Amino acid sequence: MTTESLARLHNKISNLDALPTIPVILRPLLHCLDQPAEEIDIDRIVELISNDKSITAQCIRMANSALFMRNQPAETIRAAVMSLGIWRVRDLLFSNSLSKIIPAKSWVVDPEVFWRHSLGVALVCRKFAEMIDYPDPEKAYLAGLLHDMGTLVNCVVVPNEFRAAMEKATREHIPLDEAETAIMGFTHCDTGRILADAWKIPVDIADAIELHHRIGDPERGGPLVALVNLSDLLCRVCNLGYGYYEPRQVDFACEPGWLNLVMKFPSIANIDMARFTFALDEYARDVGDLVSSVFAS
Amino acid sequence: MSNETTLVKDEIIAPENLADPAWVRIRDLIYTVSGIFQTENKFYLLVGRANRRMKVVGARTPREYLDFLTARPNRDAEIRNLLNEITIGETCLFRSIPQVDALRKVVIPTIAEAKKKLSFTKIRFWSAGCSTGEESYTLAMILQEETQTSLKGWTFEIVATDLNDRSVAKAQEGVYNDYAVRNIPPEFIKKYINKSGSDYRVADSLKSHITFSRMNLLDDSKMLFMRGIDVIFCCNVLIYFDGKSKTRTVQHFYNALSPNGYFFLGQSESLYGINDKFHLVHFPGTTAYWKPADGGLKVGTP
Repeated sequence: MTTESLARLHNKISNLDALPTIPVILRPLLHCLDQPAEEIDIDRIVELISNDKSITAQCIRMANSALFMRNQPAETIRAAVMSLGIWRVRDLLFSNSLSKIIPAKSWVVDPEVFWRHSLGVALVCRKFAEMIDYPDPEKAYLAGLLHDMGTLVNCVVVPNEFRAAMEKATREHIPLDEAETAIMGFTHCDTGRILADAWKIPVDIADAIELHHRIGDPERGGPLVALVNLSDLLCRVCNLGYGYYEPRQVDFACEPGWLNLVMKFPSIANIDMARFTFALDEYARDVGDLVSSVFAS
Repeated sequence: MSNETTLVKDEIIAPENLADPAWVRIRDLIYTVSGIFQTENKFYLLVGRANRRMKVVGARTPREYLDFLTARPNRDAEIRNLLNEITIGETCLFRSIPQVDALRKVVIPTIAEAKKKLSFTKIRFWSAGCSTGEESYTLAMILQEETQTSLKGWTFEIVATDLNDRSVAKAQEGVYNDYAVRNIPPEFIKKYINKSGSDYRVADSLKSHITFSRMNLLDDSKMLFMRGIDVIFCCNVLIYFDGKSKTRTVQHFYNALSPNGYFFLGQSESLYGINDKFHLVHFPGTTAYWKPADGGLKVGTP
């Protein structure tokens, strides 16, 4: 995006005063989760959840669904959190909070498709990170989960243009960011970056949000950007994309993201991508279950 | 090689029977030996079919059956038996829609684009291990369709080979039951299938594009003659080969392909560790192996 159109975008957003505000629960939650797993304070998480009635209800409902229920139903938030596990709870909190920033009728993409893609990329990102010995797989997960948050901003701030871009992408079978650039002059990566900065999301995650379709720039973007880029690509060729057919051939070993990672993480060369792809079926099923339970009425 | 087109009824497996960790070891063993990967959501299939073998050999638990596959003197034969069970009933026309889509929307246009530059207007496919012909006729329908629409003026040829004489004869007949034709899109049925009684016969217009013959993929002297192929399909055949034969055969396939050619395996089959010249490429919902025109820059080996 040119400096001029970026300025125009900033201007438009501040004039409209429409930039979604961070859900109350999210910032303390981000803080809570931004530490090693063994130091995460479960009591604090339980307390945060109890401040939000709808999230409380969702946690308990999900913990008592056939998928997660243990011997007896969970009746307290604490029991629900224990039954779901801290990371499931985090997924639920994020998707719930982020969903709330846009009114139900404003979704331009199908929310279930959006969350399946976001959670799919998150899972694949974490798995990728583990396979290449990237030091912080949970950070990779979070970057994957949030990578397309600009899509939500677009739904709120430029709904008509974004709808046209989405239609163009579906009709012409082209990547969404290409259609956005053609119609709006900017992409969900740009709006995602603005929201990430406004919400003070850690800078490496904000970079991944902004650069996951612009991997070619060697000056910017560390391994997290490459991880999100590759995971996004893999999900799009494994039925976890935006719900339309993209006729394309992806050769991961020649992708710029792959080439970036291979320097710092040589074990990437040993990944059995075929097997990883077959196993994605399993992730896709997990993701589907999770999304259905979040959106179950 | 499975030549059956009969419907295999899989038993309903209770979830607690899937939980035995020995199943994961059996799954991984199958992957190492054959390259076929059973995902968790296909476990019920693996378990159901392994259960049938367990009854035959008299193994009471998955752990015990694992011994039959790894420690008993006739373990190789038992692995073969299990692979037979796993792949049985997989043959039908239009078995993998993602593969069909990848061919029509990406592979064939890419090949045509490259060949057009060299003034070539003929496309050649090889259905290696064609069994009773379902795959060969599927490919013929797709190519016939393309050469009548987007590739007007082009011709195509399909070489279809199998080790088994009876399979080849049956393939040449091109007569199928309703189970084998259930996935064919209605517009293709209308154009290319004639129904007589309970039989479904493939139209002669397709047959003229296919040469069926007997061929052993392990016969080096024959393999050396295969050249100038654009796309090879070889589904659930290499899984029966030992590592050395597999490596050799795949190298022959590589040599047989023209630059920019593609090699398709079964839906959950992999070449990992078998050949590092092919590039694994992804299409929506499926994968294939690609022979780059220039040898191709490749840093990792996915």
